[in-house]
Amino acid sequence: MPDFNLIHKAVLADVRYGIFGNMPPEGPGIRLQACPETCLLHVLGAPGCGDLFTVLTARPACHVRVAGPSQWLIASEDPITDVVIRDLEDLLGERAVVSDQTHGRIRIGISGPRASALLAKGTAIDLDPAQFQTGKSAMTLIGHITVNLARIGHDAFEIIVLRGFAESLWNDLIHMGLEYGVDCIPAHLAGKHPSGKITG
Amino acid sequence: MRLPCPYCGERDSREFTYRGDATLTRPAVESEMADYVYQRDNPLGWHKEYWLHTVCRTWLAVERDTRTHALGPVSIARCERVGS
Ligand SMILES: [Zn+2]
Repeated sequence: MPDFNLIHKAVLADVRYGIFGNMPPEGPGIRLQACPETCLLHVLGAPGCGDLFTVLTARPACHVRVAGPSQWLIASEDPITDVVIRDLEDLLGERAVVSDQTHGRIRIGISGPRASALLAKGTAIDLDPAQFQTGKSAMTLIGHITVNLARIGHDAFEIIVLRGFAESLWNDLIHMGLEYGVDCIPAHLAGKHPSGKITG
Repeated sequence: MRLPCPYCGERDSREFTYRGDATLTRPAVESEMADYVYQRDNPLGWHKEYWLHTVCRTWLAVERDTRTHALGPVSIARCERVGS
């Protein structure tokens, strides 16, 4: 008999959802979206591997983020399988190794007309759309928490954060967004919630 | 103070951790180890030092004027070590 029964659940399953803060008449300034924990891979390049971003982006149904020198994170809405990892390993060969981090890091979507204003409170990155264009990503801090921040639309961003920090970051983001009005949407309502659509 | 990470670009100092004098070489003999570990000058002026960019986990070799925080060359320490 194990001493503890392990329970598999999404890290953001039990956090606060709903509407928080001062809701402007035109609707929430911020939408926080818990993303389903489907697939997250860490690619670590061998010395001299070059820039594998284009190689990785060419694969279908995946989002590639830059995660440091010769390191990339790959997120996908399709569930992780051994086949996905093996295909990627075959593609990369000696150039890089792949580590499954689906259990280790999670994604949070941040969108809405005040998304940049909210993130500017926490990060040193210049979020001007001319400087940090759609499709760009970077490692940075939000408050004290290391994250990968990506712009996925003019007013839409996605954060990848270590699982253990996710709940704390979620609460921080709500707190930072109170003045704009925050609509917090659980993962199972991704794309279905009336105001929860992450628009570009 | 802001530091230009050669990989990430310019970021504020919150994202970095100071990692000490970059001019020291680990000694080959035990008798010099205590000095290597504990003895530090506190230079006034230009100083070559390590900074860790914690978010991208890259060690940087930085030249900095300790009086003004003016910066000289910043390089990725790993590349410099391999090159020397
Ligand atoms: Zn960096």
